[in-house]
Amino acid sequence: MPDAQELESYIRRKFAENVGLTEAELFSEDLSLSALITRSERMTNSVDLMEAFARTSNGLRKDFGLRVRLPALSLDTPVSKVLAVFMGEVTNPERKSA
Amino acid sequence: MSVLARSLEHEEATVASSPLPPSESRPAIQLELYEAFTQRGLSLVDVTWEQQRLHESRRWSVVELLSQVDFTQIGEADRHLVWNAGRAELTTKPGADRLERLADLECRRWQETNPTVAAIMQACGTWSRYWNEEEAHHETAFNRLSTVLRLEPVSDATFIEFRKVFPDDDMLRTLTLLAISEVVAAVDYGQCSQMVQDPGLRALFKQVAADEVQHMTYFIAFAKALVDSGAYKAKEAFAVAHLFLRDGGEVHGSKRERVESRDTHVNWWDQLEHREGFYAPDALRKKEQLIFHALKRITGITVTSREEVEDTWMDLVGC
Repeated sequence: MPDAQELESYIRRKFAENVGLTEAELFSEDLSLSALITRSERMTNSVDLMEAFARTSNGLRKDFGLRVRLPALSLDTPVSKVLAVFMGEVTNPERKSA
Repeated sequence: MSVLARSLEHEEATVASSPLPPSESRPAIQLELYEAFTQRGLSLVDVTWEQQRLHESRRWSVVELLSQVDFTQIGEADRHLVWNAGRAELTTKPGADRLERLADLECRRWQETNPTVAAIMQACGTWSRYWNEEEAHHETAFNRLSTVLRLEPVSDATFIEFRKVFPDDDMLRTLTLLAISEVVAAVDYGQCSQMVQDPGLRALFKQVAADEVQHMTYFIAFAKALVDSGAYKAKEAFAVAHLFLRDGGEVHGSKRERVESRDTHVNWWDQLEHREGFYAPDALRKKEQLIFHALKRITGITVTSREEVEDTWMDLVGC
């Protein structure tokens, strides 16, 4: 089982890849989800964002056997909160394994 | 003699010995549009004729239906349903305008590489004129009723706000979203028709619900044709269904704790006002079932629960 730091760095990297921005762009400015959609050339709207979450979640399942289900997040949510939600899910002992 | 008359005379002379056209079957929606273009050899003219025949067979008059409503029999709760419906219907014209523009853009984008997809797009854009006209009936019927009943007026500012044209998106997503929007509307209006007291108002809600079911069927048919073509992926249809059905999803509309504030467009389901003690249509289970059915028709994939929608979508998305 990977430690929390390893998981966090994996989630950061995968999420940045999936939205088409660098980790620095995403996390140093703590972009809101609406700002992220505007900034990324790969994204049209919140459906693309949902897909980026799904791909990140699928990566966690494939690489670590962890299942993450995300709630709907409003577009003013900062990415730091998204990261916290992911981390809460993967470190929650109650979660379902994949 | 006019040029037209002369040309018709010439036409008569040349086709007099031709057989009469075969009697046509009952007008219906082309449910297998991809097959119609690729295997049955239908042209856009043929498809448009079928759209026209169906449209004509279903036309109705707002003025006539409103004349059947007994305004003295409409109670406070029913008035509120009428008022909500009138405001909500204002958002359909920008939806249809966007569809027409997007379909034409997509048609031209595909024309060189995939003429069948281009034809599907053009058939969809062409049909949008009938959709737009039918939705005009809904909007004007309910707003006229609101006016006659002296309900809270819709301000010009609200009217203009609700007319914001939706931003463009992937065409399969767009069609799936419109199909689901029609599902929600059809179920809501069906519920309203069962709740209202006045027979004339009941008939109006029933007619509008029937229109919405027909629109839903059309959107499903166009979406299915895109998936059948192989040019569009089923995951996009599932993404939109998940957007509606997930926890806190769009299907809950304005009943959600928090509705996303947007300055780009207005989603009608976010604008319904619910008043304490008044009936508000819901029937979530029925809406879910119809969304599952739409997904089955569009993609061929069977799902029977919200969880299955999410799981299927995530599987289709991959890593």
